Amino acid sequence: MTMNQQKPITLLICALGGEGGGVLTEWLVDIALASGYAAQSTSIPGVAQRTGATTYYLEVFPVPLAELQGKRPVFSLNPVPGALDGIVSSELLETARQIGNGMSSPLRTLVISSSSRTLTTAERMEPGDGRTDPAPLLEVVRTQSREHHVFDMGEMARTSGTVVSAVMLGAIAGSGLLPFARQAYESVIRHGGKGAEASLRGFAQAFEQVGTQRAQTALVTSLLSEEELLAPVPKGLETDLSENFPPQVHDMLALGHARMLDYQGRDYADLYVRRLSQVLSAEQLADPAAAQGYATTREMARWLALWMAFDDIVRVADLKSSASRWQRVHGEVKAGAGDLLQVYDHFKPGAAEFAALLPAGLAARVTRWDRARVAKGKAPWALPLKVGTHSVFGMLSLRLLASLKWLRVRGSRFATEQALIEQWLAGVVRGTQTHWQLGHEIALCGRLIKGYGSTNERGKDNLMHVLEHLATGSPFASNELRAAAITQAREAALADEAGKALDQTLVSHGAPARPVKAQPIRWIQNPHRKPRAAKST
Amino acid sequence: MEVSFSKEIGSLRLKSGETFHGEGILAITKALLQSGVAYVGGYQGAPVSHLLDVMVQAKTYMDELGVHVEACSNEASAAAMLGASIHYPLRGAVTWKSIVGTNVAADALSNLSSPGVLGGALIVVGEDYGEGASVIQERTHAYALKSSMCLLDPRPDLGKMVDMVEHGFRLSETSNMPAILELRIRACHVRGSFECKDNRPPAISKRQLMEEPAAFDYAKLAHPPVTFRHEKLKFEERIPAARRYIIEQQLNELMDGPRQDLGIIVQGGIYNSLVRALQQFGLCDAFGQSEIPILVLNVTYPLVPEQVAEFALDKRAVLVVEEGQPEYIEQEIATFLRRRDINTPLHGKDMLPLGGEYSVEVVAQGLMHFVERYVLPLPPGEGGGEGATHLPSPQPSPTGRGSLELAKAWLQGNIERRSAVGAQIAAQLNQALPVRPPGFCIGCPERPVFSALKLAQQDVGPVHIAADIGCHAFGTFAPFSFGHSILGYGMSLASRAGVSPMMARRTLSIMGDGGFWHNGLLTGVQSALFNGDDAVLLIFKNGYTSATGTQDIISTPSDDAKFNATDKLQSLTETNTTIEKTLQGLGIQWLRTVHTYHVEEMRQMLNEAFTTDFNGLKVIIAEGECQLERQRRIKPWLAGLLKTGKRVVRVKYGVDEDVCNGDHACIRLSGCPTLTLKDNPDPLKVDPVATVIDGCVGCGLCGANAHAATLCPSFYRAEVIQNPKWHERLLGSVRGALVKAMQT
Repeated sequence: MTMNQQKPITLLICALGGEGGGVLTEWLVDIALASGYAAQSTSIPGVAQRTGATTYYLEVFPVPLAELQGKRPVFSLNPVPGALDGIVSSELLETARQIGNGMSSPLRTLVISSSSRTLTTAERMEPGDGRTDPAPLLEVVRTQSREHHVFDMGEMARTSGTVVSAVMLGAIAGSGLLPFARQAYESVIRHGGKGAEASLRGFAQAFEQVGTQRAQTALVTSLLSEEELLAPVPKGLETDLSENFPPQVHDMLALGHARMLDYQGRDYADLYVRRLSQVLSAEQLADPAAAQGYATTREMARWLALWMAFDDIVRVADLKSSASRWQRVHGEVKAGAGDLLQVYDHFKPGAAEFAALLPAGLAARVTRWDRARVAKGKAPWALPLKVGTHSVFGMLSLRLLASLKWLRVRGSRFATEQALIEQWLAGVVRGTQTHWQLGHEIALCGRLIKGYGSTNERGKDNLMHVLEHLATGSPFASNELRAAAITQAREAALADEAGKALDQTLVSHGAPARPVKAQPIRWIQNPHRKPRAAKST
Repeated sequence: MEVSFSKEIGSLRLKSGETFHGEGILAITKALLQSGVAYVGGYQGAPVSHLLDVMVQAKTYMDELGVHVEACSNEASAAAMLGASIHYPLRGAVTWKSIVGTNVAADALSNLSSPGVLGGALIVVGEDYGEGASVIQERTHAYALKSSMCLLDPRPDLGKMVDMVEHGFRLSETSNMPAILELRIRACHVRGSFECKDNRPPAISKRQLMEEPAAFDYAKLAHPPVTFRHEKLKFEERIPAARRYIIEQQLNELMDGPRQDLGIIVQGGIYNSLVRALQQFGLCDAFGQSEIPILVLNVTYPLVPEQVAEFALDKRAVLVVEEGQPEYIEQEIATFLRRRDINTPLHGKDMLPLGGEYSVEVVAQGLMHFVERYVLPLPPGEGGGEGATHLPSPQPSPTGRGSLELAKAWLQGNIERRSAVGAQIAAQLNQALPVRPPGFCIGCPERPVFSALKLAQQDVGPVHIAADIGCHAFGTFAPFSFGHSILGYGMSLASRAGVSPMMARRTLSIMGDGGFWHNGLLTGVQSALFNGDDAVLLIFKNGYTSATGTQDIISTPSDDAKFNATDKLQSLTETNTTIEKTLQGLGIQWLRTVHTYHVEEMRQMLNEAFTTDFNGLKVIIAEGECQLERQRRIKPWLAGLLKTGKRVVRVKYGVDEDVCNGDHACIRLSGCPTLTLKDNPDPLKVDPVATVIDGCVGCGLCGANAHAATLCPSFYRAEVIQNPKWHERLLGSVRGALVKAMQT
C-alpha cells in the first residue's frame, strides 16, 4: 500500500459543557506533535459550553511527519459519519445521540462510552419517573460499534479525585487507537501541573479498564439485564402474618407493617393488616388458583401502607430528627472529622398543616379564617421557618412535634384520610369481587396519593374522581374496558400537574371532567383605562 | 474574563523562524501583529471572542508595539472605528460575530465603503453558520456585495489563513475597499501550526503619533454629491484594482489535476470538505492531489471574470461548491460565462443542497451526481468508500479503480443506520432521545428570577414576555419556557412597543446588562420614556457579558472592589451603579433593585410592577454577579484560606430522601444541573427522589424556592465549617452531645 493511500485516524469526542473536552483535545494534539505526527482538531463549543452537549473532532495522520517528505495531509474539519475510527463520550445518552446521527459504523468504529447518565431537564422535571431507560442506549452502542467499552467514567474520575477528561484520555490511550506511547500521554498530563497526580491516577485506571476487554462486554450485558434493585426486606415478619398471607405478599407486607409500627403504633399496624386482609379474601375469591400470584394484595400492601403513613408535621419532624438522618447528611456534604456541621431545615407549614392536628371543629374554624384571608386577595397564611437541626432549640422543637403522634389520631386530617382510605379500599374490594383486573387497577391508583399540601390534595381529588366516575358510574361494555379506562386515567393523572391529560381521558370514557376549583382572582390594573403617565422630565 | 490567555499571549510574541501551535482565531490574531496593524477593535461573540480577549489581556505587549486595542460597546462602534483608515495610512482590524454583528455594523460599513480607505481595513467575522451556530442562518456575503467590500474566505489551513490576513490589508490598500475575512466556526477553533514572522510595530502608532490631522477633503465624506462619485469609483477603479491584485498575487489557488475536461470551483473555507468528499470516490489522495482541477476561491468577492472564464473554458462541466443561500457566487459565474458565450455546463445548487452547512457527507452526496454524470469511469485509485470497513486504508474496489458503488454504499449505509437506530429508539423508548440544550450554569443568578417569574404568573396570570440575547435566553428552554420573541441584542424593550398598547395586561421585557449597553439603553429605554410607554423592564445585572465569555463592561465591578472585598463570596455587582445612575439620569421614576436569589421578594416586586398604578416605564434591576466570575474569584481565595488554616464555611444544599415526595416540583421550578434524580431508597415507593449532587455551590435557590413556592419540606441547607474557631468547637461539642441525646 503506498503512502498516498494512507488516510487519517479519526476520533470524535463527545462531552458536556464544563467537562474539559477542550483541554482533552488540546492534550491529544500536543501529544501528536510531541510524538512527531501531523494532527488537527476542531470543535464547536460556542454557547453549548453552558451545560449543553458538544463535540470535538480529531484527525491524526498515521505516518510520522518525518516520513512524509514534506507533504502535508489535508485534514477534514467535520467528523464524517460512518468514517470514524473512534468515538469517546462521557455520557451515555450523548453517545447514543451521536450514533443516532449515523456517526458510528459497526464495521469500523470503536466506541468508548461512560455508562453514567447526566439526566436532561426534560427527564428530571416529570412528576413521575421520566428517566430514559439505559438498556436501549446500551443496545445501540453494542449493535452499532465494531468494538465497544462501556464503564462509569464519572465514578472513576470521582474515586481518583480528578476530572472526566483525564479518564477519557486514559481510555483513548488504552484503546491503542492512536499511534502514541503511553509515556507521551502521561507526560502531557504532568505538564498540566495542578492536580497532575490525580489526573494520572484517573488516566491509569481508564487505561487498564479499556485494556481488559472481557470485563467490558460482561459489564454491558449485566447492565442490559439490570433488574430494579430493591432494598433488603426487613427480617422477621411476625409469624401470624406470614401464616395469614401468601409468601408472594410477604416482602411488601413486612415493609408496610414495619412502616405502620414506626408511624403510629401497634393498633394502627393491626388496622393495616385488617384492611389488607379484606383485599386478600376478595382476591382469593376472584382468583382462587392464585394465577395472578396475589398481585393485587401485594400492590395494596404497598400503596395502603404509603397512604396510611401520610406525611404530616409529626412524620416530617420525626424523620428530620433521627440520628441516622444526621449521619446521612454528614456523608452527603462530605464533612471532615475536624469540621463543624450546621444543618438548617426549610419548613413552611400553612394553616392546613396546623388544622390537621386540631379536632374537626377547631380545624374548620382555622380553615375558614384562612379562606377569608385568600378571599381578601391575600396569600394563604404560611409560616416560613429555617430550623437549625444542629441546635439544641431546633432539635428540641422537632422532637416535640415528633412526639405528637397521640394528637395526630385525634386530628381532623387523620379522620379525613381514614374515610378516604376506606372509600378506596371498598372500591378495590368491590372491584376485585367483580373482576380481578378491575380491582388490581383500582389498587394501583394508590400511586396518585403522594406528597404534601396541594400536591396531596390534588392526588386525592383525582383518585376519588376516578373511583366515583370510572370504577363505578359511567357504563362500560365490559369489565376489561372499565379496567383499561382506569389504567389510562391513572397514567394521565401522573402525566401533568394541571391534569389536562386526565380530564381528556375522563371525558373520552364518558365520565365528567374534574370540577373547576375555586381560585382567588387578582385584579390587574389596566394601563389603558388611565391617563398616560406624563412624559418624564 | 472566563479564560486566561497567558499561554496564548506568549505565542503572540513568537519570532521569525519559530512555529505557532494553536487555534485558528489566535493565529489570525498573531497575523494581525505580523501585518503591522495599528488599531484593533470589536465586539465579543463566538466564534471570534478570543481574538479580542487575548489582545485585551495582552495589553502590556500591545503597548510595547504601540497597537491600540478597543473593546467597543457594539459592532457599530467597532465598524465606525475603521474610519481611522479613511484619511490615514493606518492598518486597522475589527472583529465580531456574523450575521448579527454585521447587521448592527451595516450603517457604518456603508459609510466607510463609500469614501473608501487609505490604510488597510480588515473585518474579521466569525461566520456563525451550520452546526453549533447560535444565530440566524444568513450569509455575510450579501454585505460584501452591496457595499463593495472584498470578501476573503481562506482555506482552513493556519498558514493560508495567516497569509490572507496580510494580503487582506494590502488588497484593501490597493483597492481602497475595506476587506472582510470570513471564518467559519470550525476554522476559528481548528488547532494547527504555521511558521511565524516577526511582528511589525506600526509606523504610525500610540508610540509614533501623527503631528497634524489630514487636510480637509470633502471627497472623504459619505455625503452628497461625492457619494455619486464614490459609487462610480467602486466599479471603475476599486474593484478592477482588487481583481488585478488577486491575479498578481495568485490569491485564488488552482489545484490542477489530470482530468482537464472537468473542473470544480470552491470557496476556500469549504476546500477541506471537498477534498475529503473527493476521496470517497477515489478522486483525490490524502494530500489533496485531485484528479479533477480545483479552483479554490480564497477571495469570494470580487471574483475575477477572466480567471473564472479561463478555468471553465473548453471543459465538459464545472461544479461550483458554495455554502449557503442564495448562491451569489454561482450566479455571478453564470453571468460571466454567459456574457462571454462560454457554454460549459455549470452545476452547483442543482446538485448540492441550497442551504445548510457543507459537511463532508453533504458535499459527497452532491458530488455523487456530478461523478455519475461526468466523471465515470473512475480512475485507478484507492477506491474510496471511507466508511466501508475498518482497514488502515479504504479497500480497493473490485475493479481496482475508484468505485462509485463503495461511495454510494457508504452514503446509503449512513442513511440506513440513522433510520435503524431511530426506529430502535422509538420502539424501545416510545419517544425520541431527550434533547440537551445549553442552560443556566450551576448557581447562576439568573435562574432564580425565572423561578420568581413562574410564581408571579401564578398570581397575576400569564404575561407577554419579550426576551433578548444573552444567558437569560436560556429561560426559553425547559423548565421555564418563557419568551414570546427575540428581536436582537438589547431589543427586548423595543420589541414590545407594539404589543403593550394592544394588551390589557402589562408586558415584561427581559434584558441583560450586556444588551442594555449594547443598545438597549437607546433603542429601548430612551424610546419608552420619550413615548411615556407603560412597560416593565427587568435588567439582569450580573456584571459581565457572560454568554460570550464574561467580558467586562462599563458596569463591571472594579478590580479594586474585587480586591478590597473582605468576603469574596459575595456578589459585587452593587459596587458599580452605572446602570442605576444612567437610568436615573434619563428620568426613570419607578426603579427597584432586588437580589436575584430572594425569590419571594422578586415575585412580589414583579407582581407590584404588573399591578401598580404607576403607568410609566418600570425598571427592576435583578442584582446578582455571574456565578462563573464569582467562582473564579472564590476558588483560589478559599484554597488560600484553607492552606493557612483559616476558617472557611462551605455551603451545600440537600434533599432528605425519605421526606421527598417524588413529585419533582422543585426541579420544574429550578432546573439546576445539580438538582437531579436518584432511585427511591424506600422500597415501598416507586418514583425517583430529587437529590443534590456534588458541584452544588450553595447559591441558596433551593431554599428560597422551598419557601417561596411552599415546596415539600425535604430541603436542607448544610454549612460545613472548616478550621472552626476554638469557641465554636467547644459550643459544637456541647451542642452535639445534647442534640445526639435527643435524636432517635
